[in-house]
Amino acid sequence: MLLTPEKLRLIPMVVLIVIGCFGLLTSKSILRSLFSLDVIDTATISIFVLIAASAGSQTPIVSEYRYSSYSDPYPQAIILTAIVIGFATQALLCSIALRLGRSSPLLKYKNLEK
Amino acid sequence: MSELEILLPALIFLPAALGFLGCVLPRIVFPISVLMLISYATLAGSFIGSDFSYAFTLIGDGGIQFSVDHYTFPLVFGSSITLLISFGLFARRFSHYFYQVCLVLFTALLISFSTVDLVSMFIALELVGFSAFLLIADRNDKKSLFNSFQYLIGGGLAMLIYLIGVVQAFTYTGTFLISDLVKAPETALCLIVAGLLTKSGVFLCGLWVPNIYSHANCQSSAILSGCVTCAGIAPIARMSQTLTPIGDSMVVIGVISAVVAAIYAVFERESGRALGWSSVSQLGIAILSPTYACIYAMQHGICKALLFSTLRSGDQAEVAYNSHSASGHGHGSVDEPRPLPVEELIRVIVFVVASLSIMGFPFLSGFVTKNWVKTDLPYEAKIIYTTAALLTSTVYARLIFDRASNYFSGFKDGLSINTLKINRALTDCLSTPRIWIFLISIISLIGFSFAQPDVYSLKSINSAIVSAVLGGILFVSVVGIQADEFVKPITRTLDLVGAPFLVAALLLANLLYLKI
Repeated sequence: MLLTPEKLRLIPMVVLIVIGCFGLLTSKSILRSLFSLDVIDTATISIFVLIAASAGSQTPIVSEYRYSSYSDPYPQAIILTAIVIGFATQALLCSIALRLGRSSPLLKYKNLEK
Repeated sequence: MSELEILLPALIFLPAALGFLGCVLPRIVFPISVLMLISYATLAGSFIGSDFSYAFTLIGDGGIQFSVDHYTFPLVFGSSITLLISFGLFARRFSHYFYQVCLVLFTALLISFSTVDLVSMFIALELVGFSAFLLIADRNDKKSLFNSFQYLIGGGLAMLIYLIGVVQAFTYTGTFLISDLVKAPETALCLIVAGLLTKSGVFLCGLWVPNIYSHANCQSSAILSGCVTCAGIAPIARMSQTLTPIGDSMVVIGVISAVVAAIYAVFERESGRALGWSSVSQLGIAILSPTYACIYAMQHGICKALLFSTLRSGDQAEVAYNSHSASGHGHGSVDEPRPLPVEELIRVIVFVVASLSIMGFPFLSGFVTKNWVKTDLPYEAKIIYTTAALLTSTVYARLIFDRASNYFSGFKDGLSINTLKINRALTDCLSTPRIWIFLISIISLIGFSFAQPDVYSLKSINSAIVSAVLGGILFVSVVGIQADEFVKPITRTLDLVGAPFLVAALLLANLLYLKI
């Protein structure tokens, strides 16, 4: 497999996903899970953006070749929705954490899973 | 055809519009939404079995593609009937914004049933997840809040896994269409399917199902089991129809899910949790056959909604709802004399009929769908499928026994049977809409089976009855094992979160090396 610059710049994002998953699987409290989910979310969005990004000078007009030398606006436009959805998820999770925090302030899974 | 192009998107977004309007004018919009659901049900019901299909693109070239076809109609019918059942039975106890959330959920479900675009599917599934989150948290105590937290974080992670798969597929295909996934690499397919399986609650990804169903309100559980888990079924069926490797892997996963979850259900003592495990098992059966997946999920969804609605007797459910108790064992904890024994009897009858339908007893709708799925299976899977059917009968034999004994134990506490009293109770009952809903649902469950006379052969009826009787005998033999804590409930967040990864890895192994 040839390592092109397009693939090389995805490596940090994959590392971010792995870090996030590791954090999610080893977290002991709700807040850490929240942060880990956000890390994975950000990494996914960055992958979308990076895949479409391309150094070029043309305007994005659809021609025979998809990636000639412009950055494809289609995935970037689509990922906007995913950004909003990620934000909504975080907000809902934070509200739940706030409610749960009244009875067990440390938000440890150990106390909540009983 | 251009009228359809305007009409269908309008029909898809009408429930959400009504739902948001209902937040402002709750009393006026409720009857309108019930009428709307009835018309959706009749519309979708009239198209079941027909070959009508219509594909359209929402905003011109390169827009979002929808396809309304034979995958869509059964699921729309099932969801609207489920919502109608829960609206009719529990309208008195709806909390704030409950039915509005249900209407928004219905729009999300319509999108997920009809779209063939992966990103629209992602958005629809996330919307389904948010609505389901609100339904789970509706009970508003600590445990249900934590359950909804687990559901949301598990679902959110699954959808992120799905997105990563989508973007990998996009780099190979250049579009987001399901039909173009043929050119996508195996890893992308695995990630997409793992996300969908988590949403539809098939075993190993669907570990959240039993906890949540057993603890949420009856109306929430009915809607969750009837509609929410169906959302992932339609895309899985579409994918396994076009992609042979995915179809083959679905047979493996479905068989594993059907058997293992049924075993869990057999050894589970609490009724709500057993119903949850059985739901996991039934959806495993549903994904076995891409052709009949949607219609099987529809039948299962309606029966499960009826089961969850009648699982507890009327006043017990009321008490469980009002007390906001954290214990979560509403079942069997209240010993008050029932005010309306006739209504209670009808509840028990509905419970028994719905259970028998899921068992696949002859002359009920479950029998028809079970036979359809059976004709579509390879021989090796058929044996395990029969085993799962046997285990399912065992589960429901126990549930029927529990429910009936719970009912008859109520009579022992000095409730004298007086004919005059019963007559009055009967007239009282017939004036409430709930009884009519129950009666209509029983009649339609029986009537649907007679609409398809070609599945009735001596062999199939014989095998169904034998499986039901054997299930009863098996129940008697395992009743001793149930006395102990044989299975522990899975409540750890780590298990719920880690399952999609495991399934994605297993699928990848299957696609690359095992090639079953």
